[in-house]
Amino acid sequence: MPHQSRRLALVAAALLSARASLGAQTDYFNTDAGRPLTIEDAYALERRSIEIQGAPLRLERIRGGQYRWGIEPELSVGLFPRTQIEIGVPLVFVDDPSRGDRRAGAAGVDMSVLYNLNRETSLPAFAVGVGALLPAGSLGPRDPYGNAKVVMTRTFPAFRVHANAQATFGPRLSLPAGSPDPVGGNTLELSRWLAGVAVDRTLPLRSMLLAAEVFARAPLVRGQPLEWNAGVGTRWQANVRWAMDAGIGRHLTGDDRGWYLTLGGAYAMGWPWRPARR
Amino acid sequence: MRRIFRLPNQLVAALLVAVLPTRTATAQWSQVYEQFYLQAPHNWTFRTEYTHADRLFNAFDYGHAILYETLWRKPEAPASLLEEKEYAFLVNRVLVRPPRNPLEEAAIEPMYARLAPEAKMMFDWAHVLHRQLYDILADERLDQATKDREVQRVIAYYKSRPDLAFSSKPKSMALMQEQPYSLAFRTKYPKFNGLIWAYHWLQVGLYEPLMVGRTREERQAGVRATVSRFFQMLDDAPRQLPHQMPMTPAVAPAFAARYPEAAIVFDNLHSMHDVVSDILANPSVPRDRKRAEILRAARLFKDDTSYVMGSTEAWVRMSQHMGIENMGGPAVGFIPVMPTPSVTYGAVMTHDDRTGEMTGFKYGSATGGDHAAHGAAAPKPGSATAAHAGHTAPAPAPAAGGHEGHAMPAAGAHDGHASPATPASAASALHLRMLGDSVIRARVMADTAMHRMAMEAMQAMTPAEREQMMQRMHGAGHEHGVMHGSGGAPAPTPRATAPATARPRRAPKAATPKTTTPKAAPARDPHAGHGTHGP
Repeated sequence: MPHQSRRLALVAAALLSARASLGAQTDYFNTDAGRPLTIEDAYALERRSIEIQGAPLRLERIRGGQYRWGIEPELSVGLFPRTQIEIGVPLVFVDDPSRGDRRAGAAGVDMSVLYNLNRETSLPAFAVGVGALLPAGSLGPRDPYGNAKVVMTRTFPAFRVHANAQATFGPRLSLPAGSPDPVGGNTLELSRWLAGVAVDRTLPLRSMLLAAEVFARAPLVRGQPLEWNAGVGTRWQANVRWAMDAGIGRHLTGDDRGWYLTLGGAYAMGWPWRPARR
Repeated sequence: MRRIFRLPNQLVAALLVAVLPTRTATAQWSQVYEQFYLQAPHNWTFRTEYTHADRLFNAFDYGHAILYETLWRKPEAPASLLEEKEYAFLVNRVLVRPPRNPLEEAAIEPMYARLAPEAKMMFDWAHVLHRQLYDILADERLDQATKDREVQRVIAYYKSRPDLAFSSKPKSMALMQEQPYSLAFRTKYPKFNGLIWAYHWLQVGLYEPLMVGRTREERQAGVRATVSRFFQMLDDAPRQLPHQMPMTPAVAPAFAARYPEAAIVFDNLHSMHDVVSDILANPSVPRDRKRAEILRAARLFKDDTSYVMGSTEAWVRMSQHMGIENMGGPAVGFIPVMPTPSVTYGAVMTHDDRTGEMTGFKYGSATGGDHAAHGAAAPKPGSATAAHAGHTAPAPAPAAGGHEGHAMPAAGAHDGHASPATPASAASALHLRMLGDSVIRARVMADTAMHRMAMEAMQAMTPAEREQMMQRMHGAGHEHGVMHGSGGAPAPTPRATAPATARPRRAPKAATPKTTTPKAAPARDPHAGHGTHGP
């Protein structure tokens, strides 16, 4: 059933595209792909830190009253200087009352590395990242997908600007004309490429970040048009361990102009350490 | 199936080449990185146990950050922007309702963070050390041996980042206040500078009640009292604000004696805070040189060779000679009245780096009738040695904090047995009588100038009277620990000290006087006799 497999690959790829890459950083100030916005900053998780995102939620309403839920438990580690390594297992729930289609399952294994090249001075901060979505789970892709990205952050007195550009490599998908899309079409599909800009402003005494983004992406499915998206979101430091986030966005162009909502929380802790023996 | 390899490495390379073609760009290339604090069961204990004090540190983060951001971004702004507007916001809003969480300073000082991220991260890393030490000392589950072990572990973790860690060798004050750019901040912004020094007073001072409190209740009461004292400093700024940078051995002697490495790091940290302020505030440092100057200072504060004092003892002695009364006074055991500074605001004393002894003034002067009485010849501006020529090097002056915990006989107890020694003079009797009063005694002990005078007055007394005076000043045994100018190494174990409470502290009930011969030689006030030097 190659055709069905490709459809499922779309489902599995949903969270990869939504998150662009896994991301997790300790505090509210370090934005993170998908939490709440797709566009992130150029800084990696602090060295020797561990961040657990228990159940970051993404809810999407797409055409026909169809809803899709995605949860992606993940673990992030600041293993090396300026380097974060992440692994997550996206779980997808599809609810399409019109066709009585209800499915749930793991949608692959998601791994990524973000490497911050420099700290911002008069030069912007840059980062590069790579990621992969591996086949696993009932809704996972048949083939592995990889991606590479470049991130830049520039700070101004009142706000910061982040720019991301990402490419995905892997099998391109084709759906026969008129074929029903089991998961709601191109709302969460993989991107052949993605580029966008986010602006954020901090309320430092409230430990809160307000952000907005706009980005474009070319779907991985052949024949589907370029898609523009916009979103706003906030990150908030609830206490010294927990950073919460929430965001909302909308697909501005394309066949499916649905909206999406994200909600999550990340718990931070340190990596155990002992002095080196002499 | 088609592989997509768009947007490859060429894009990254093109971006980097576009911004990195020059030497200037290379100098701006910074790869400093953040690191998580040491994971441990005591993490954030201070936050839980001493919530209000912990939140003040969040407020301090704001104060430091807005200062640097303002100095860097608005160099032409009138002094009132910091001295009035920002100061008022800090004192009336931020300190009154401090933030619940540690602040992200890069969000408050975005442009300064861009200017010198390396220096910013040095501060952040040292602040992490601060907080982790509070956590250990505040953790009631840990016994003293475990606390000692954990402190050493946290210090080792701190030093595992040599690119960020301040040296744990004591640095001369010359590094802080005798550089070409020095004093710009304190002279233009005395109130804000005093506020920063008050911050630093509390940051090191809060260790003291945690160290000397014998029970959880005493530690709690002590922390409350120390915090109250901090707010008292703000009542009449800048008069009641510290006139000198608070030094850890003077403000927190028990802490400095037990954990000298940490105390030295904090003094170096606080010195560099002043250095960065001076570099930013001094227009003689061109804007395109400020980053380089800050990084140079950072290097000097990190290495173990530049501007290093002769010994830890010399650092302790230097701290004593600077005068606890000039630093906001002791952090525990203080009396309601703030100590009277014995130098002009922001005075720069010079010290012998080998011994720590004060050698003169480079800027400012001693104040007060007693100091003036020493009437040194008017010095030439900038000449530190001229004014002190012929002066005997001052002996170490006991710091008030070092006397905390001495069993001071209560007034009533002495009233009852004052008769055995017959004063040879009315003056001696008056001295003894006055020192029998706990409030007067505490005041004398908290003021190095008065302490010196009392010690000098003893020279005219008989041995028996002298012994009585020593007992009243220092209690039974009156041994002098490290803070009493013995010059010895810091004592390994801090004295059990009655903590300060929210109310003025009362001296403990009398200990039985021991009939030992006083061993402390009369100490001279290090500020005495020094004349005024022009800036």
